[in-house]
Amino acid sequence: MKPDTVVNFDVALVERARGGDAKAFERLYREHVGRVHGLCLRMTRNPDTAADCVQDAFIKAWKALPRFEARASFSTWLHRIAVNTVLEKRRGPAKAEISVEDPGEYEEPTMVFDTPVEEEELEAAIESLPQGARDALVLCGLYGYEHQEAASMLGIAVGTCKAQLHRARGLLKERLERGVR
Amino acid sequence: MTTRRVKDLAELPRDIPPARDLWPAIAEAIRADLAMKAVPDSRRRVGWWPAVGLAASVALVAVGVFIGKNFKQDQDQALAAIHTAAPDNDAGMIKASLRQAEYEKQRDQLWTEVQAKLNTMPPAEREKVGASLATLKKSIKDIEDALGRDPANALLQELLVNSSQEEMRVLTTVRDSGRQEL
Repeated sequence: MKPDTVVNFDVALVERARGGDAKAFERLYREHVGRVHGLCLRMTRNPDTAADCVQDAFIKAWKALPRFEARASFSTWLHRIAVNTVLEKRRGPAKAEISVEDPGEYEEPTMVFDTPVEEEELEAAIESLPQGARDALVLCGLYGYEHQEAASMLGIAVGTCKAQLHRARGLLKERLERGVR
Repeated sequence: MTTRRVKDLAELPRDIPPARDLWPAIAEAIRADLAMKAVPDSRRRVGWWPAVGLAASVALVAVGVFIGKNFKQDQDQALAAIHTAAPDNDAGMIKASLRQAEYEKQRDQLWTEVQAKLNTMPPAEREKVGASLATLKKSIKDIEDALGRDPANALLQELLVNSSQEEMRVLTTVRDSGRQEL
């Protein structure tokens, strides 16, 4: 993931939380809840489910703190737990993976529009994407994760992640051009 | 209603605060988790209490056997001080009450007198009684320490009261043992 300025601040809090300091963990929660919720909301498309996932993710994180390696980014670790929680909540069978012949073909995760798009319209277009494509777009295009990290979080192959992102970009462009739905 | 326009997907806000504060539910789960983690400690302590009691008992028996059954009247006064300071009908106040000045004053006075008494004993006897008293004192200290970690523990409170009463009884007996012999 791209460098995160809160990481250093987190280190001391994580250390205190690992020692059972719930107050320190509450500060970590306050620091990260917005981003975790944004991630869960975009992946689940449902505010209630997203809130459940956020709650579960933080509870899991608290319980897993002793296993957290201080060298890692707390934010990335937390997001991984959140993504895993979302995937667990979906419960449905895994979607068929889309494979690509050349995994290096769709490396660029960013997406720049020719003309500015309204935020609301863009969020609606993302929401309308198929699950697999949306997951890849949210993690790579919006939250800045590399394909490898995103694929690992989602439990899919790196090539699949790239293909899903490619697919998401095409669908997003198409839907924005025709007014989303 | 129009919203902000963006030119790049990455310009969308990453942070979206939840509509309600989710922390209370998380905090509740954390409290439950901490309570669960505390259970094994409590269980370990359950196994530890009898050991403390046994240590105190061993010390008391050792001192008692050595001294014999030489009880004096003012021993009852010392015990009365404990009962006054530690009402049986309010377990939560027992530990605090035991530390009241009157009790501590009497106990400290007894220890001083017992120390003086020990100095008059033959070395072998002095060593034996001194070691037993030290064990007793340490046992009470251990109980107090355990209560510091678990202040509401009724079993420990009761153990402290009983041990403190025994301490006073034994100290009085040791102090007066010479008078009996005389």
